[in-house]
Amino acid sequence: MTVKAKPSRRSWTEVVTGSPLLWLLPLVVILVATFVYPIIEIIRLSFTDAGLTGSDYSYTLGSYRRLLGSPYFFDMLKATVIFVAVSVVFQMFLGFLIALVVDQGARRGMRASVVTRTAVLSAWAIPGVIIGIIWGILYQESAGGVLNYLVGLTGFGSIPFLSDPAAALASVTFANIWRGTAFSMILVYAGIQTLPADVLEAARVDGASAFQRLTRIVLPLLAPILLINLVIVSIDTFNTFDMVLALTGGGPGRSTEVVALSIYNQIFQQFHLGQGAATAVLLLLINTVMTIIYLRLDREEVA
Amino acid sequence: MPTGERSVSRRDFLKLGGASLAGATLLGVAGCGGGGGQSSGPSIGWQAIPSYSTEQNTDPGRVEYLKKAISKWEGSSKYSINARASSSDVTAAMAQLLQQASQKRAADISQVDSYIFPRFYDYVYPLDDYLGDISPDQYFPFAKEAMINNGKVMGLQFTTDVRVLYYRKDKISTPPASWDDLISTGKKMKQQGLTPYLFPAGRDEATVTTSLFPYFWAQGGELVDGSGKAAFGEGKNREAMLNSFDFIDRCVKTGVTPKRVTEFSQETDINGDASSGKTAMFLGGNWQVGLLKQIMGADKFTKQWGVAPIPSMSGSDHATTSGGWVWGIFIKDKKKQKAAVDFLKAVFVGDQGMAQWCNVGGYLPPRKPVFDVSAYKKDEYTDTFRKYLNEYAHNRPASKSYQDISTALQVAVNQVVSGDKAPKQALDTALKTVSG
Repeated sequence: MTVKAKPSRRSWTEVVTGSPLLWLLPLVVILVATFVYPIIEIIRLSFTDAGLTGSDYSYTLGSYRRLLGSPYFFDMLKATVIFVAVSVVFQMFLGFLIALVVDQGARRGMRASVVTRTAVLSAWAIPGVIIGIIWGILYQESAGGVLNYLVGLTGFGSIPFLSDPAAALASVTFANIWRGTAFSMILVYAGIQTLPADVLEAARVDGASAFQRLTRIVLPLLAPILLINLVIVSIDTFNTFDMVLALTGGGPGRSTEVVALSIYNQIFQQFHLGQGAATAVLLLLINTVMTIIYLRLDREEVA
Repeated sequence: MPTGERSVSRRDFLKLGGASLAGATLLGVAGCGGGGGQSSGPSIGWQAIPSYSTEQNTDPGRVEYLKKAISKWEGSSKYSINARASSSDVTAAMAQLLQQASQKRAADISQVDSYIFPRFYDYVYPLDDYLGDISPDQYFPFAKEAMINNGKVMGLQFTTDVRVLYYRKDKISTPPASWDDLISTGKKMKQQGLTPYLFPAGRDEATVTTSLFPYFWAQGGELVDGSGKAAFGEGKNREAMLNSFDFIDRCVKTGVTPKRVTEFSQETDINGDASSGKTAMFLGGNWQVGLLKQIMGADKFTKQWGVAPIPSMSGSDHATTSGGWVWGIFIKDKKKQKAAVDFLKAVFVGDQGMAQWCNVGGYLPPRKPVFDVSAYKKDEYTDTFRKYLNEYAHNRPASKSYQDISTALQVAVNQVVSGDKAPKQALDTALKTVSG
């Protein structure tokens, strides 16, 4: 007698546990609660006249009108673009350079490469506010300022690092380059360790010069990592406000008030939650557009 | 599949989950109820900014006084004090407190910046019934004005401060009274190789409270109108503000003030220059006396430095800015209100409490009789500060527009000093920012 096998019926618990949905649920909940919801809330608040000190508000386009009509709007964008562009270019260039030097040092068994790596990394580990205070002491224009003391020894007058609007932006950008170079170095150094030694060796045997090896082999192979580096460093610099707050507070005038610092000032100094949220949406748009551009470039490169 | 293999049934799972949830809720409720209080009896919530608190304070002298005084009061009361934390960013702390007060979540006793206190009138309870021997008339006029609304005492101010001109009395025989005097004295000091005149001009509140408003108020200027809207750009107010900017510009252009003053965000940032022996005059606060005595040595400081009213355009009708802190009571329960005032009188507001707290913190008492209490430690400068508090002191306006006004004017002073904008241009931009 043959017994027909009953079609196996899975209980609902088996269905649920067998599906990836259950395992993804905690992550989805956390992402929605800490990422999606705040973004939606910021966008909603940007269309209100909400303040930090009261619970009453109404929906309006006034926050965007005031933001775009502010006499400092284009100054803020200009300062941000200069700060980000110069920071990103130099952080990537110097990070790449230091990574190459440290790698060459390590290959030659030089202990100094470990010291250099550690020293550069320490800049990355220091909180932004502390970096702002350190550079503030270095830049001081009075007799106590370290850099101006050194300049004074050479017989020149003091340099207005923080009291001249143009010099202040340059000083803040320089401090940010110092701070961010370490991160670029780490990424590039990690990338260099993954380069195929046989390809580099073959190029050397074929008579390629060091410059040719760098431009024809190392850079193309490192391109994906450099692109990731570019995305992270750009977004990170756009979001920087802690170091600038400690170093200049946005001054003199508003010459160093970058977008992220402006958001902080509008919400926590002037209590304009609506206008601060509108500025945050602007920053979100800038970051989104830049990420899309980078991703497209990456796709074209892969294709 | 035999059911025996299931270690936990669905019902068991639900029971276990329900029990866990209930347990967690109970724990949460217990945690909220405790609130950090150390006694099982009734407690009074007390929220102070970090430098005035027992929990977040970095000054051992203040903590020692507070712990002793609070413990002594708790010994004589059925209530205990339940300290609550606050932000160290004063502006953010006040914004947060306003939000809490509007939602009826403020601590029973909360510390409020005196100039902003009128914005809390709707949330605090009158204290007249509990004051005892403390009378509002004992307070300096500017403090009394902030504490009283519609004839009722709404809060108790317990510290104050005042801004003055510090000058090298070993180099300058008569301190400058007018702007012209200051420029000519400054030029003489420059010839002697001294930095003539410093003041805070960074992106912070001190730039307006210390380096701008005293000039403006001395000309009769008003920052806001009766409805609380910005009025510094209209009529005589505009003229007074433009004169003040012109004077700051003149200080920089004549070389009396270096552009690097934009690096000074707070009055105490000038301490290094003041103690270096190379500065002739600076604008600062009374609290710098104690700090500079520590840095320079008390004898050297008192021999070198004198204080005078902040120079005015005319040389008379001086003005200065005062501040300080007020305690507000946010609890409806009358018994707790009485106990709260009793606590404040013992630790901060009564003769002994105010004298001792002002001693440990280096503050000035806002109640005039406290200056004569034996426990209050006076120094060579105290009587002068008291005179200025009585005659020249102004409070910042409490209107909602003040934060915008302050930020716009800080930026304007910055721009004038750094040479980024001419005085008129800086004023017009500030007006546009505030009215935008």
